[in-house]
Parts: sequence; structure tokens; C-alpha cells
Amino acid sequence: MVGVRYRVEKADRSIWINMSNGNARTVREEWGTRFGFLMAMLGAMVGAGNIWRMPFTTGQNGGGTFLIAYALLLFLIAIPGLMAETMLGRYTGKGVIGSFKQILGDKRYAGFALVVVLVNVAVMSYYSTIIGWSMYYGGHSLLLTFFESGFEATPFWESFVGSPLLTIGTHTLTMAAIAGVLVFGIKRGIERVVKYVMPFLVIALIAIGVRGLTLPGGMEGLAFAFTPEWNYFLRGDMWVAALGQALFSTGLGWGIALTYGSYLRKHDDVALGGGVFTAVGNTSIGLLAIFAVFPVVFAFGLEPAGGANLMFISLVQVFPQLAGGPLWAIGFFLGFFFATFSSGIAITEVGVTTVTEETRLSRTQSVLAVVGVIWLLGLPSAYDSSFLSAMDYIFGNFGFPLATLCIIWLVGWKLGPERARVLDLNRNADLYVGSWWNGVVKYIIPVVLVFIIGNGAVNSLGTDNQTLMIGGIALMFVLTAVSIWIMRIVPDGKSSDDSVAASQGGD
Amino acid sequence: MLAIVGLLWGSATVTIWKSMHDEERKLQLIRKQGTIDTYSPRAMADLREWIETHPADPYVDEARDRYNDCVETLREIDEPFYDWNDDEIASLEKL
Repeated sequence: MVGVRYRVEKADRSIWINMSNGNARTVREEWGTRFGFLMAMLGAMVGAGNIWRMPFTTGQNGGGTFLIAYALLLFLIAIPGLMAETMLGRYTGKGVIGSFKQILGDKRYAGFALVVVLVNVAVMSYYSTIIGWSMYYGGHSLLLTFFESGFEATPFWESFVGSPLLTIGTHTLTMAAIAGVLVFGIKRGIERVVKYVMPFLVIALIAIGVRGLTLPGGMEGLAFAFTPEWNYFLRGDMWVAALGQALFSTGLGWGIALTYGSYLRKHDDVALGGGVFTAVGNTSIGLLAIFAVFPVVFAFGLEPAGGANLMFISLVQVFPQLAGGPLWAIGFFLGFFFATFSSGIAITEVGVTTVTEETRLSRTQSVLAVVGVIWLLGLPSAYDSSFLSAMDYIFGNFGFPLATLCIIWLVGWKLGPERARVLDLNRNADLYVGSWWNGVVKYIIPVVLVFIIGNGAVNSLGTDNQTLMIGGIALMFVLTAVSIWIMRIVPDGKSSDDSVAASQGGD
Repeated sequence: MLAIVGLLWGSATVTIWKSMHDEERKLQLIRKQGTIDTYSPRAMADLREWIETHPADPYVDEARDRYNDCVETLREIDEPFYDWNDDEIASLEKL
């Protein structure tokens, strides 16, 4: 049966709706409100790293000196990068693979887009376990478990992570909950959730921060995190840590900003909301986490640390000692769960948007397919936390930089930064972006990314991570080669239906 | 250190306020006029210069359409979103 195509003028883009064998292709969704988009971007980028990594990383790397370096790099690199990625999505009105196909004009190198999607799927497979941990602790904060007599934090944590039934169960619940949000789409699903959970997180962190600062000894925690140690300015490892935090905690290059940007409305701005707000808002929440966590930790004489130990052992012991402890514990652990959950939604949406566009599956079918694959791939991480750590090492050090490199290469070297800037970035913009942006996107960000990959590899030589590093780099080569091969042999998806002139190269 | 913290929190607060404020204004103008201008004077000047210096670029038709759309819109509407004055609008020509 021959399909009938209806051309629908939507915003400034023409969308073809195929009516074939009774399968109607719906018009692309849009964010309902500006606030919804901003909260979705913030929710996507604010995750576990902001709360359990940034405070400790700051304290460990020269305190205030690290923050100065971080702020510099944020404005110099992360914000221009986020502008580029969000603009790409808004310009093409497509997900990751659709955007690559449109800009490249053929399928030969669209495999780089598949790399971005696969890195997201791989990351979500282990991040789901972490969301499951935060869900478990959020649930127990509501049940007031931490306040029962005889409760001990370390055995509680060890019995939880040592129980596959519980870790796989929370991983399963997490993916089911994410599917439950994503089937409702962008406006009725993601936007509806993030509009409430992100303000909750901010209010909870402010309240706990104020409480922590009023505790005797609380100010020492801030001193640990913020006192500048100026000699760190000359230390390369501090700059590398600041670079890593500025680039990857802001979510640059994951495909999330591209995907969320593709649902922007005709008159929406990219530069201020997608770039500046996303980066500084994300950082502001990281700073709030410092105020919320370290005063409390120091007031009770605990060792400052990062990661799961800080969240699930140290802080759990603190809340019962605070007046009104249950309230603080609920605010903190639910806030932490919301932060990780909203990131999980965004990471999964990258795959869902891509599958919906590139296959004949409906959105609901795509959600079930992507969530199902992530659930399956996540079982080893849920079962064994050392596998999770290995995945985090490989994809954190090599997967994310590679994905970011793919997206920045597309904007900087194929679409061309000047073309992108004059044609789309400054269109409907709340902030004018000058030509300085071109050099940052085309040269500085790629060089920094290559440096980060190389530095991570060199630093792991002769350490316990050497084998993982070699395996990780080999995996990235295989992933790239297989992705390019797959994209060459699979037929064009729906996103190719409304093709636009392809780029002939960057400027 | 307070300056860095203040800079970041201040930037986040100002950014979200400006973003929401601009959105409200855009929506008001769209409700009132049906459309709004899409480029600021500086962005239009950049776009025009790029079109003139890249006549053979594969994106030039799209760029020209966007430029001309904005010129047309500026001539039709009473109240532009960006900081255009009457002389600037009168001096604009379609490409």
C-alpha cells in the first residue's frame, strides 16, 4: 500500500507525516514552557556527581583555587560547548542520529552518532543501579529506618549492596519508573516531573545548608571546601580535575542537550538557556551541595569523602543526631534521588528519541525497547558493584570524551561554527554570541578533549587501572568501527524523510 | 571565594530571570502581533555579512530566507522584540 504524506507546517520546520498502513507519524513534540525546558536541562545535568563528587573534588584540589579554575573553564569551554550542542538539536529538530545524517548528508560517518547513543545506553546501564541505590535510601528515609534503635549505617549499606535481590530489584524499579515517565512524552512526561523535582532539590539543599552552617563546627566544612591553596594553581592535576568537572558534570557531549534542544519551540532561545543557564545552574547546585554536605560532615567530626561512602554511610549516621533529623534525611535523600532520577530520564530519552525517529516503532514501543535493553545491560552492574566501577572508569574516562568529540566535530568541522552561529545560534537568542565562539568550538574544545583522553591514559600507566585503560581504549575503537559499519548497512530511518542540503564542510 | 560563589549563584539567578522574562515578552508579542523578529541588529548584520561573503555556500538559501523573513517581519510588526529603531528597520533590504 502506497503511503500518503501530509506536509504540516510546524514552527519554522516542515514536518512530513506519513500515513502508511494506518500508522500515523505524529508531529514532533515541543516543550510546553520555558521553565519546563530549563528545569529539564538542569535536571539532566545535575546528578550524583554534583552531590557526591563535587564537594570532595573541590576540597581535595585546593578548595577555592579549584573553584576559580573551574569557573574560568566553565565560561571558556563548557558554556560554548553546550550552546553548540543545544543549537544543533534546535536547528535540525532531530535526535542524535537524525542530526548527524542531516548535517553530513550521507550515512558514511553517521556511525559517530551511533557512538553517542551507545555510550548513553552503556552509561545508563550502570547509572540505573546508582539511581536504584538513591531510591532505596530515599524510601528508607521515608520509613524512618535510619532512626530505629540499633541501626548501623555500614552493615545496612553492605547488606544492601551484597543482596542481588535488592540491587537488581531497585535497578528494575528504576527503569520501570523511567519508562513510566517517558511513555508520556516530553511535555506530559519529562516536563511534568522536572518542574517539581528540581525546585524540591534546590529547596532541600538550601535548607540543609542553612541547618549545617548553624551547627557548631559547621564552618570548618566550608573552610575545607573553599579555602584557596594558591600553590595548586601551578599543579597540572588540579587543572585536569577542573577541566573534567567543567566538561562532564555539565553534561556536554552526551547528546542530552542536542535531544532536549530538538524539542525547543520556534521562538526559543538557545544561547542563554541551553548554554549559560544549564552550566551555571548545574554548578550552582554543586555549590549548594558543598554547603549542604560538608558543614554537617565536619560538625559531627566525620572524615570528608566522596562517592557512595559519603552518601550512604557518613551522612546516614549524621541525620539521627540532628534535631528534626527525619525531616532533613527525607529532604536530602529524596532530593538526591530526584537529582539522579531526572538525569536517568534524560540519558534514556537520548536513545528513545533516536529509536522513535530511526525505526517504525511508536514512542511507547521505543521506550519499552530502549528501557528493556538498558535493563538487560544493567544486570551485571546491579549484581556486582566492581563491574559498575569498571564501567564507570571506562565510560567516564573514554566514552564521554569520545561522544563529546563526535558532537563537537559535527558542529565545529562539518556544520562549521560561523555558519552555525550566524544562521541559528543567534536566532531568537536572549544573548548575542560573538565570533570568539567559533575558535572555542572548532579548536579549543577538541584539543581539550584529546588532552583529557590522553592524560587519563597516561596517568593510568603502571597503576591498577592500566588493564582497564587498555581495554577501554580498545572498546572505544571497536565501538566506533562497529557503529560506522552498522550505520552504513542499515536502511535510512524516518529522520531522513525531510532531508536538507548537507554541509560541504566546516568553515 | 565568596566572590566566585556569588558570581555563579548570581549568574544562575540572573540567567533564569532573564530567560523567563524574555520568554514572557516574546509570548506577549506573539499573542499581540502574531509574530516576532528573529534576529537582533547585531545578529542580522552578521547574517547579512555571511550571506554576502558566502554566495556559493549550500546553506546560503536557507540563510537568505531567514534574513528576508526577519526583514519582512520587522516591516509588518509595530513592536520588535529586539532593540531595533525605525531608521534601522527602514534601511533594511531583502537579499
